[in-house]
Amino acid sequence: MRFRRNLLGSFLSFVVVVGVWQAIISFGHVAPYVAPTPLDAWRSIVENWSHLWPLTLTTVKETVFGFGAGAALGMGLGVLLSKRRFVQRVIYPILILSQAIPIIALAPPLVLVLGFGLTPKVVIVAWIVFFPVTVSVLDGLANVDRDLLMLARAYGASPWRTFLAIEVPSASASLFSGLKIGATYAVTGAIIGELAASSGSSLAMFQHAQSAQLDAAGVYGTTLIMTAVGMGWFSLVALVEFFTTPWKRRSIARRAGRHI
Amino acid sequence: MKHRFVRFIAAGGLALVATVTAIAPSASASSSLTKVRFAYDFPWPDMELIPVIVAQKEGFFKDHGLKVSIVFPPTTSTTVQMLATKDAEVAMLSTSDLVVAVKAKVPVVSIANYSMKNNWGLFAMPGSKLSLATLKGKKVFSWGDTWTTAMLPFVLKKAGLTAKDITVVNGEADTPLLKSGKVDFVTNTTNYAIPGIGGKPVQIVGKTAGVPAVPVWVYATGSSYAKKHGKTVSAFMAAMKDATQWSIDNQGKAVRYFDKAFPQSGYTHAYNVQAWKLTVPLLKNKSGDFFVQTKTQWSTLAQAMVDVKQIDKAEKPSAYFTNKFLP
Repeated sequence: MRFRRNLLGSFLSFVVVVGVWQAIISFGHVAPYVAPTPLDAWRSIVENWSHLWPLTLTTVKETVFGFGAGAALGMGLGVLLSKRRFVQRVIYPILILSQAIPIIALAPPLVLVLGFGLTPKVVIVAWIVFFPVTVSVLDGLANVDRDLLMLARAYGASPWRTFLAIEVPSASASLFSGLKIGATYAVTGAIIGELAASSGSSLAMFQHAQSAQLDAAGVYGTTLIMTAVGMGWFSLVALVEFFTTPWKRRSIARRAGRHI
Repeated sequence: MKHRFVRFIAAGGLALVATVTAIAPSASASSSLTKVRFAYDFPWPDMELIPVIVAQKEGFFKDHGLKVSIVFPPTTSTTVQMLATKDAEVAMLSTSDLVVAVKAKVPVVSIANYSMKNNWGLFAMPGSKLSLATLKGKKVFSWGDTWTTAMLPFVLKKAGLTAKDITVVNGEADTPLLKSGKVDFVTNTTNYAIPGIGGKPVQIVGKTAGVPAVPVWVYATGSSYAKKHGKTVSAFMAAMKDATQWSIDNQGKAVRYFDKAFPQSGYTHAYNVQAWKLTVPLLKNKSGDFFVQTKTQWSTLAQAMVDVKQIDKAEKPSAYFTNKFLP
């Protein structure tokens, strides 16, 4: 029931966005070379699908690899920093500094060092993703119930067992918040990497070429695909959260039951 | 105390009257000038803006009743749209951008050539053994713009190659990639590439590159603006003629005007001096005239763009240009 309601909500928000878009174009008398109607953007996707599909797959690959690397690094750093306070004091300012560097400025030097292939894009995506994951893991681990930890110690649980049985589940809500933020930004990182330099074609360069051709429908169509990749990746992370944290649903059901 | 206060008010009043009197003539002169926004073809300034800067600084615009401000597009392909959406009255464009605009039914028209020759080509590091004969299998940088897309197939044809024989690297910065050895060739025009690379880079340009002899840049305006404000467009071109000639006759001073107008352009004075020196020979045709466009240049370019499938069909040359606003 809840799932259906969520689905209906998503569908309604999609209808609102498309409706507002169409209204702006129609009532604002916007020329087709400035901005297309939603239908024209969709038509452009359909017409260019044979070009767009392999490029989309490449962007997805960059996003997935970069997200994986960034998430792993973020989780590892989060755990390390939470366990070693001195390391946290030294490393944390560096982490903040890393995020203060505009990623657009970082992309060209990365290309010079790492070339035009997959690697610089993966590095850029990982760079964007690891920080929210690190911070969320740190916050999550810092807010674990102290009583539970003391109880585990009293029962003689090993640090590793305590970490797996108590700290990881307690920090999971916070961790998934960081992962979902990272998932949303991951595509942006991939596109920035593609724009900096790509051998052959890429989704970003395809869009650049469409823009040069004053094909606004093509530009918007490509943007829709980029957005779909980002939303798809976010949804997948949310789905993983749903299946890997069943206790969150149980607690909600229990509370709901009590309420009834 | 009261006396002091009255004196203070009187002095203030006098100062105000003096200020208003001083400002009034310039304000009325300024308000009588027709305001024109000139959109550049690039999101940041470079030395090809020199004639416009000179026209501002030396008063050529003012002499022709204009007050011209420069606006920069957010992306290289937005300049055309700025004319159509009336965010600018006059602009500088690549000729291929104008052809694409006409195809997309954007109401714009070219009013003058900026440069008269095709100085576009491929460039490699000084001393390298690269040439058209060794192009196969090489990495070639492209900006992904309409001009490069139109011209590169001609180079490949001349070399007896197809697009599959080279690796095209698309990106945002050419020279760093060339200097770091990440690409073998960059694509650009002589006046930007030579000072950018430094020394004597290997050049495959013009006839050697097999590209058509068509100008690279033009001045353009919106079609409706040209109809309604023909006198203003003519005045703009008259001022640009004076300014361009002045910029040729006083190259050092012209470059310094640019340096001063855009100290944070990212280009050094030495770069601008050399780049402008290389631009000057491109500005006049064989008869020594500025700006004059020909039917042949437009039909040749449009057909070239049809051949590489950038546009479906070539329009009549009159759809692209007019010379009626030339001084």
